[in-house]
Amino acid sequence: MGVKFFGQFLIEAGEVDAGHVREALQFMEAENPLIGQIAVAKGFMQAGDVKQVRAGQRNRDLSFGDLAVELGLLGSQQLVEILQDQRSRRIPIGHALVHLGHLASDRLGLLFDAYKADQAQFDVSEIPLPDGLACRRVARHVLELLPRFLMRIARIQSKVGEIHVFDQIPEFAEVRVSVSIRGRRGVEVALVSDFEFAEALAMQAFGLSASDLDSELVADGVGEVLNVLCGNAASGSAEEGHRVEVGPPDYDADLCDGWIVDLAVATGQAAVVLSTF
Amino acid sequence: MASKINVLLVDDSRTMLAQLERILGDIGDIAIVGLAGGGAAAIRMASESRPDLVLMDIVMPGLDGLSALRTIKSNHPEIRIAMVTSLSGDGAKAEQAFKLGACQVLGKPFDVDLIESLIESVRTEHFRAATEAR
Repeated sequence: MGVKFFGQFLIEAGEVDAGHVREALQFMEAENPLIGQIAVAKGFMQAGDVKQVRAGQRNRDLSFGDLAVELGLLGSQQLVEILQDQRSRRIPIGHALVHLGHLASDRLGLLFDAYKADQAQFDVSEIPLPDGLACRRVARHVLELLPRFLMRIARIQSKVGEIHVFDQIPEFAEVRVSVSIRGRRGVEVALVSDFEFAEALAMQAFGLSASDLDSELVADGVGEVLNVLCGNAASGSAEEGHRVEVGPPDYDADLCDGWIVDLAVATGQAAVVLSTF
Repeated sequence: MASKINVLLVDDSRTMLAQLERILGDIGDIAIVGLAGGGAAAIRMASESRPDLVLMDIVMPGLDGLSALRTIKSNHPEIRIAMVTSLSGDGAKAEQAFKLGACQVLGKPFDVDLIESLIESVRTEHFRAATEAR
């Protein structure tokens, strides 16, 4: 139902199974060159430099390329050249499945078109975001996906309104849940609402009745919806080549700065707060 | 009559666990053998209850789903584990899950048809194994 990668789409369509995808991934891992291998082949790095970066990755949560640049072992422009080279040589999973005989080559184009059509609903257009906001690409995905998610999973009509500088927590904000998204910098996405909106969201998104819910479970439901929203936004961003990490929901969101996005909702009151960290 | 499939559910969200319980209850002939709120509890409960299927979230505080997947598959390779995640479109996470032995990666929000189809495949496998053992 959500954003998915092509191999998963093929499994869900019954074209291949998980074993085929696993085999294709192993084939791709063996065939697709690593950044370090390309860097050495191009003479940008020595084998010892590659070992140094890999050793450094044990203690730092950074990609190989980012850490190599930070350590001064690779130039930024050299990294761009390597990434372009790597992307142009990368064997996609569809071709790997065809190569291994798990998918007929004449079906690949047809299935990829069906995949693109399935994922078209998650395309995002440009919306104006404030200067200074980190992870703008994924933040845009969040704001674009939010009304569609609220409608699709909870049947709540909503519309994203204006973005203002955040100066105080809205009076209606009885429920405050946030999720952190980390790229080179990070953005905290908080959904703040009154209890009426939060309860409706938790009930309708998870098929629960009012008697099932207590205030903790309502907040948990809002957090899970926000987590799913941010996860799908992160997946959309990853599809565009920008990977970010999404953290678990924080139910004690400390909101003090950033931007507040008005949200017109059919049930109760709600808003989104975006903060850079 | 079909034999019951034993399922362990793992998610740090109580609402997500409740939703999965409801979906599996509607499918029928499924015994929920445990509800775990994190990776460490999942490893312990999988060893104790040896479920036919584990449905486990990837992003959880503490020991995350991928780490728990690695440990459970290492200890009990026969247990089928499907990962559930809102990050299913992030190829790297999904690929990692498959490499570690996941039999499926289910995206959130859930597609109930996919869960039904997963349960059906586990049931078929379960029936085949039981028949061969006779």
